[in-house]
Amino acid sequence: MRLENKIIERYRQLYPKETLKESSARTGIQITRVYRLFLGKPMKVHELEAFEKAINEGMSSNPNHSRLTYVLEEASALLTNEELGKLADYFERRVENKKFVRSYIRPLFQETNIA
Amino acid sequence: MRGLSSLERVVLECIGNQNLSYEEILFQSGLQENVCFNIIQALIIRGVLKSEKGRYLINQNISPLMMEEMNGLEARKAESLELMEAVLDKDYDKIFRFQKVAMDERDTKIFKAMLSNLESFLKDAHQKAEKNIPLKNRHIVFWGMGELLPMMNQIMKGN
Repeated sequence: MRLENKIIERYRQLYPKETLKESSARTGIQITRVYRLFLGKPMKVHELEAFEKAINEGMSSNPNHSRLTYVLEEASALLTNEELGKLADYFERRVENKKFVRSYIRPLFQETNIA
Repeated sequence: MRGLSSLERVVLECIGNQNLSYEEILFQSGLQENVCFNIIQALIIRGVLKSEKGRYLINQNISPLMMEEMNGLEARKAESLELMEAVLDKDYDKIFRFQKVAMDERDTKIFKAMLSNLESFLKDAHQKAEKNIPLKNRHIVFWGMGELLPMMNQIMKGN
């Protein structure tokens, strides 16, 4: 998957119910352009940065996110490969279960509300 | 290794050797509609389930590699942990006791015999009610014991 698609997917995971209008207001990108980007059109650098900024803002609103990032960095340095594998399995299962529960699965435009 | 999530296992256990409609799986599993749908789709994509004439059945030609991934020791361990964690996180209507108990050799033997009785009781109870009680209304029961010192060593080693 291309970097820009990953960014859009991540963005849609963080803001699954956001309308195009809201996405446009959050990123500062024109609504028609947001529509095209959600459909998979290539991004310009400043658009990529705008989405990344919105993603970082979304994640920093969760106080445990930075804690988890820090712990994972420490774990990567201290734990054995086997222990890391177990943690990865654990996280993977949690994520998969969450995906089952979310009605929103598709990363791109199909389910976006137009407001 | 991805294994099977407890939710996926529930769907597979509902189907078992039968071929069930979506509504029957929904009733047996008690899952929310969208969750049930997503799990069925995921299992079909993985090649574990197949659909025939609007009914779902387990694919009989699952590769040994996939079988190991789903039913291997690590996968089962992860699944048990998932359910135990869910029991621990439950706020109401749960029974959970965890104790460090001093037991002499004689009492340890008695306790193990009691566990063996418990196991037979559960087996009989399950056989008796299996056909009438849908999967969603079954109980999760777990028990176990171990010596503290080896476990502490295991935790230190990180295995």
